[in-house]
Formats: sequence, structure tokens, C-alpha cells
Amino acid sequence: MKPDSTWRDFLTPFVLLTGPGTLFIGVTLLVPLLTVVMFSFWRTESYELYADWNFDNYRVLFGEAAYRTFLIRSVVSAAVTSLICLVLAWPVAYYIARHGGRYRLLLVLLLAAPFFTGVILRIAALQGILGPGGLINMSLGLAGFAPIKLLMYTQFAATIGHIYLYIPFMVTAIYLSLVNFDFALLDTAKINGAGPFRAFIEVTWPLNWIGTSIGTVLVFIPCLASTITPRFLGGPNATSFGMSLSQQFGETGTWALGSAMSVVMFIFSFLVIAVLKFTIDLRRSGFTGAGR
Amino acid sequence: MSSHDDTVSLSLEDICKQFGPVKAVDGINLDIRQDEFFALLGPSGSGKTTLLRIIAGLEHPTSGRVMVGGQDVTFMPPYHRRIGMVFQNFLLFPHKTVAENIVFPLRMQNIGKAQRDDRLSWAIQLLRLQGLEARYPHELSGGQQQRVSLARGLISRPALLLLDEPLANLDRELRAEMEIEIRRYQKELKIPFIYVTHNQEEALTMSDRIAVMRNGVFEQVGNRTEVYQKPKTVFVAGFVGQSNQMEGKVDKVNGGFLAFTWQGKKLVVPHAGDAKTGELVRFMIKHEDVQIEVASRKSAIPGNHNSIPGKLRDIIFKGQTVNYLVDLEGGMEIVASGSPRDMTLAAGDLVFAFWSQDTGSSFKLG
Amino acid sequence: MAGLLNLLYVFLYAPILYVVFVSFSEDIVWPFPLSLTSQAYADLFSNSLYADALANSLILGVGSGIISTAIATAGVIGILRYPSKRRTLIIVIFLSPLFVAELLIGISSLAFNSRILGLPGNMFSAIAANAVEGIAFSFLIILSQLVRYDWQMDEAAMVFGARPARCFWEVTLPTIWPSLLGAFLISFILAFNNLEISFYNLGAIPTLPSVAWGSLRFGLGPELFALAALTNGFVFLIFAVMYVLMRTGLVKFGYRGK
Repeated sequence: MKPDSTWRDFLTPFVLLTGPGTLFIGVTLLVPLLTVVMFSFWRTESYELYADWNFDNYRVLFGEAAYRTFLIRSVVSAAVTSLICLVLAWPVAYYIARHGGRYRLLLVLLLAAPFFTGVILRIAALQGILGPGGLINMSLGLAGFAPIKLLMYTQFAATIGHIYLYIPFMVTAIYLSLVNFDFALLDTAKINGAGPFRAFIEVTWPLNWIGTSIGTVLVFIPCLASTITPRFLGGPNATSFGMSLSQQFGETGTWALGSAMSVVMFIFSFLVIAVLKFTIDLRRSGFTGAGR
Repeated sequence: MSSHDDTVSLSLEDICKQFGPVKAVDGINLDIRQDEFFALLGPSGSGKTTLLRIIAGLEHPTSGRVMVGGQDVTFMPPYHRRIGMVFQNFLLFPHKTVAENIVFPLRMQNIGKAQRDDRLSWAIQLLRLQGLEARYPHELSGGQQQRVSLARGLISRPALLLLDEPLANLDRELRAEMEIEIRRYQKELKIPFIYVTHNQEEALTMSDRIAVMRNGVFEQVGNRTEVYQKPKTVFVAGFVGQSNQMEGKVDKVNGGFLAFTWQGKKLVVPHAGDAKTGELVRFMIKHEDVQIEVASRKSAIPGNHNSIPGKLRDIIFKGQTVNYLVDLEGGMEIVASGSPRDMTLAAGDLVFAFWSQDTGSSFKLG
Repeated sequence: MAGLLNLLYVFLYAPILYVVFVSFSEDIVWPFPLSLTSQAYADLFSNSLYADALANSLILGVGSGIISTAIATAGVIGILRYPSKRRTLIIVIFLSPLFVAELLIGISSLAFNSRILGLPGNMFSAIAANAVEGIAFSFLIILSQLVRYDWQMDEAAMVFGARPARCFWEVTLPTIWPSLLGAFLISFILAFNNLEISFYNLGAIPTLPSVAWGSLRFGLGPELFALAALTNGFVFLIFAVMYVLMRTGLVKFGYRGK
């Protein structure tokens, strides 16, 4: 007979399948984030948190020039890195999707393979190549040339590090979008008189914009929160917002201020997502909805 | 399967299915007999596929009952129903060979290997798939894939075989061949087949009985000849076969006939409904029921026939038949269909289109 | 474009090659003139700290990989197979961890675990926090592959008598396993190599990244380079096998062209 009790009506296959994930993410991501938001209105004193609600942390954060500098530096760095990655990743992803043939999965995996080596080792290796005692500058020195100062402990070096770490995300996101893109549409555009560039602008780019913007977010957010790269490649003048933030939870133990910084960082991440979301018109994206 | 000895194998009792505000199926009652080939004919969106899915157990009706072999299966999940099914896009499992695909239903019923092999060779024989057992679906032609799909549907000797537009993806020639073949299997195996299609020719060729469906209801259920020759509604008359349509106000009702005026001509046609004098009727007559004669031989048209003068605009040669397109005064057109053997006319000839007063059907409008 | 692709590979692999190279050098600060040694490898296997760290990283990776893949698979099947008004919401929820930096995931779970629950650093919290990120990546990977899967295939199996579990095992899984494997591998690597999430959740329990982090202050131990070199050797062995299989056309890994 028809099963009609209310709890059974609620426990549809949809709920049973998506429920565990929703619950898991709620408990292990959302609740902790809300905790941080709460702490950001508290006060720390000698490593202890006290629940007297106030805005002092935010006042400090926006009042002191150092924090502003860190924030602006991180945001600009993240934006620049995202843009460079975008420009470099598109042709690469396009090439793999279009001309990779049967090896295209392997080609993409090759981009992801550096992840098997931990971030720290890769950054240390980059430091070993770029730094003052590194391969490039030592070789230059031995050959009697002046070292390239730009590569040694500068924001430029840190940006190279960021690109190094995060460009695989961008390529993969664009690639995944392109493999689901029907390249025959380009032929249609060309038959109708569009040159290769016009065809790209009119057809390829808009239909792969969602994948591209996901890639952008995937580069922007870890860059914004980056701590290790600026510390080891950036030198003394590259202290990032993330470095300062992690100090609040480590050495200085000012958890409440750190929480406020986390909230600010989250807001900036969210702003980027919101801006990109604004540029997405689902009806013009070629996205016809998942499944039936 | 429970051995139910009634001649009714499937019965649907007042089935309704609602998707949000849309009534996809709206009060369907139907009995399918033990050995009949039944076609569910209707345009897309008529609810025929939903009805088939309800029978298969892939959807549950909002209200009503589904009985198979006398047992209520309305809310029984599909995997307990032991029904066979053949799908439009074949839906063969791509990672299994032809043989593995075919015996899949037997494996699911935990039938032993020896018996499985036995049944497999029976099905391979029946569907003439010898030599293809070890192939994978993507190595087969469309027709072969469809035969494998049929073999999989039939191997467990289900109580019922459902076919969801199985020929829609095949080309015309193959389709004609398969139509005959599928009907042969049904007659040989004596398993009831329910065949969903939007193609009236297919339905007419293969089935014993046809239900014409529209907007979730049956417009007409009956033998194929009945549905073809005696359509009960305007929709059925228009959907099954190709018809000319004429509308007019009833001048007179006289026993089994009514008279109305169309294009200035007085026509006498069968009176089936309840149209009264002064009411609007639509008269529909199949192309092949209309004949044609050159104007000079008007006297050859028998007395109890309607005839309308016109000018032959074009002759459409269709191989087995010919369609004559006749322009009438006032911009209307009438189509007559005949055999190409007596094709003595040419475009531009003045002709009469005529038909017997007791053919065609009239429907009250409004 | 092919040139740019090759340049990118060079850029990505130069540091990796450097790591391998240094692992065999006697002097890791300035590895010239060349003098090769396998001392680092001997040290690696004799030092129990690295064994512990490796074991912990493996536990983290496998645990997070399994949880992520299982939860993401269920979620993808849920939204693709059972249409619902809440589908968009579910997609947003499952992808939301992508939009939270690892640093924030680590710090917020530290704040919640230590200050609200009063928990010390432990493996379970670390696995869970890593799995959050893994779920998002797995969801994206599996979703992008499964949108093309025809669920009518499962309906066909059910009509022919397969119960849902059997249907998943016999019909769905054989078709979708490559994307599940991909999702598992990605979430495994993410957790295995993760510093920021794990560090804040584990306290004193060592993992490979945290050992590397710790030793950075005194200069990286050559053993770590040796370990990284070994890992890379293993990964590239797998790639080589894949390449041979693709070359001979034995396995296509989802590619449907010629």
C-alpha cells in the first residue's frame, strides 16, 4: 500500500543522498565559521577568550595602517595572480581539450601531478631556484653577472610562487568546461562568417565563462589567504594578510583579533564570488540544468 | 509470476498521475488481454509514456490501481514486477556483452547458469543473433541493438512486455522490417505487448487494439480497423490516417445521415453524433475514400455520392499510392488518394472529387 | 599553444626536478659541483619521525579520500537522478568549501574544536576538516563526469529485476568508477599534503607537511627531498603505465574518440 507516514515522505531518495553531505558540511564547515564570527566580537586576554561583545577587533583592524597594508597587498596580489593565471591557462586548456586527443586526461593529470609534492617542498625548491643562493642567481654570479634582484625576496617572486601553486586549478577548471563544450559550434560560427577571433569571443568565451570564473575563484581565494609563499619567497616587505592572521592564532594568541581578520578575509572572498556570480547569466551560459 | 488463469493480464483502474499542476494521466481504465498486441498511440506530451512508466513501476500513480495477473502492484517497485521492457534508445549496458545483456534479467532473478544458458540460446535463436554473443553494444548496428534489447525484454518470459517507441531511432526500411518481426514474436510467444508510439502507421501495422491518447485521457480504445474507420472524436479522425476536413451548419438530419452546405455545395454525410439542425459540424474523410473524375465524365459518378468540382493542381506520386491535390473555388483544397495504375490525369485538368455518402465521419463542434 | 603548454610543464616540473636532484646531492644548499649520494634515502628510512609522519599523512589521506568520495558520490547521484526544487541549494552547499580558504577552514575548526568542544588536536577532527575540502573537489569532478550518464540505464536494470544496491553495483559503478577514482585520488592528495587544515587540527601529531614546516626553520632536511622524490617516482610510474595503456588502446579512460 502507499507509504504515507510523514517521515517517510520527507526521507525521499533526494534527501537520503544529499542529506549526509549537507549535514557534514554544516557541522564541519558552517558551525566552525559561525564560531569564528562569534569570536570576532569577543576579547582575548593572555591567550583566553572572553565573551564581552564589542567591535574593538574591527576597530583595530581598520584603524592600524599595517593591517590595511597587509589586506590591500593580499587582495592586489590575488587579483594580479588570478589575471595572469587566466591569460596563461586559457590557451593551455584549450590546446589540451581540442588537440589532446586520447592523451588529454594524461595531459591534465600531468598538470595536477606537482600536487603530489607538498606545498612546502615545492616552495622550498622554488626558493632554491630563485633565491639569492639559488640556481639562477648563483649561476649568474659564477658567470660574472650581477644577480637578478627582482627574483630575490620580492613581491614579484611571491607572485611567481602563487602562479606556480595555483595555475593547475585554473587550467583544470577551464579544461573541464571545454571538454563539455561542443566545438562544432565554432564551425557553425565560422560558416556564418565569424573569423577565429570573433568566433572565440562570441561563442567559446561566453559558453565557458562559468568554468573560467570557477577557476578564477579557485586561484583568487587561496592566494588571498596565502601564508607560506610570501613568507619564503616574498621577503620582509611581503607580509600578507594570511601570515598576519595565522600569527594571531599562533605566536601572539590574540584569537579574537584573528577571528575578526578571518571574517574580513571571508567577506573579501565572498565579494569576488558575488561579483563573478553577477556576470553569469545562466540562460546564456549553455547550462541546461543537470540531468532531466 | 503467479499463475493467474484469467484472460485479463493487466488492468488499470482509474489511474491518475499529477506532476505539480499538470495532470499527465487523468483517469485511465484499461484491461489488457492475455495474448493481445496493444498500442498506446498519441502525440508527445499525451501522457502515454507516463502511463507506461506507471505500468513498469518507474512512477507511482497519484491515484488508481495497477493490477498484473490479478495482483495489486501499484506500489510494488519495478524490480519485483517481472515485466519486460524495450526502450527507445535501447539502453543496453555498454560494459556488458550481448550475451551478458540478454541474460541480465535471469541473473537478477537468481536463475542458475544451466537454465540461463538454455534460455540464452533460445533467445539468440528467436532473434537471430547467432555469432554476436561476445560483441559489445557499440559494435552492433542499430537493428542488432534493438534485437538484443528485445531479447533482453523477452528472455524471462515476462507476464507483459512494454515497448517504449522502440523503433523511433531506426531508419525507415529497418523499421518496416522490425514492425512485422515484433508482431510475429508477440503472436508466437502469446505474451501481451503494450506498445507506445506516436506513429499511427506503426500502431496500425502491428497491434490488435489501439488506444488513442491525448492530454492524459483515452480518446478512443478499439480494434485497429474500428479506430481507423470509425473515429469517435475529431482528434482521432485527424490523428489516425490523413483526412480532409469540411465544416458547416447542419441543414437537415435524416435518419443515419445529415446534410450540410460547404463551399456552396450540399453534402450528405453519415450522422453519428447528436448534432441537430443549425448546429456546426465538422466532417472528416480519409484521403483514400475520396475519388476523382474528369469533369467531362461527371455522369459516371454514381448517384449516392457527394461531388465537388475543382481543378487538379498537382499529383504527388508516393509509390504505392498517388495523392491528387484539387483546388476548389474559394481557395479550399481537397486531397484524394488513389492507385498509380489509373493515373491518366494531368495537372490543370478540371475534375470532380467525389465520395460515397456513407463514408467519413461527422462531429458536432463546440 | 603547444609551445605554451610545454613551457607550463617546464615551469611546473623544474622545482620537482630540483627536489629530485637535491635529494641525491651531498650539499643541499648549493648542489654544485656534483657529488651524488643516497645518504638522504638511508636517513629517511632510519628516522622514525618520518615513518610516523608518513603513516599519519596516509591515514589522513585515505580517511579523507573515502569520506569525500562517498559523500560526494551520494550527493551527485541525488541531484542528478532525483529532480528537486532544492537542487541549486544543494549544489551551492556542496561546492561552498571551495570558496573558503584552507587557512580559514583550519583556523575555524581549531577555534570550534578547542574553544567550544574543548577537544585537543586529534586525527578525527583533522580527517573531517580535510574531508570538507575533499567533498567539494570530489563533487565537482564527479558531477562534471556524471551529467552525461544516462540514468534510464538504471531504470532499465530495475525493470529487469535489479534492486537499487545491485543496480548500483552492476550498472552504475562499472560506468562511473573512473570519476570516483579521480575524486578519491584528488581528495587523498589534498589531505595527504595539506598543511594548513591539518596543522590546526592535529596539534602535536606529526604529518609530512608539518614535519617539513617544522624543519624549515633550520633548513629542510634532505630526507624530505628524498621522500618527495620517491613519491614523484611512484606517481610517474603510474603515469607511464597509463601512457602505455592509452598508447596501445587497451584502456581509454573515458575518451570516446578514435
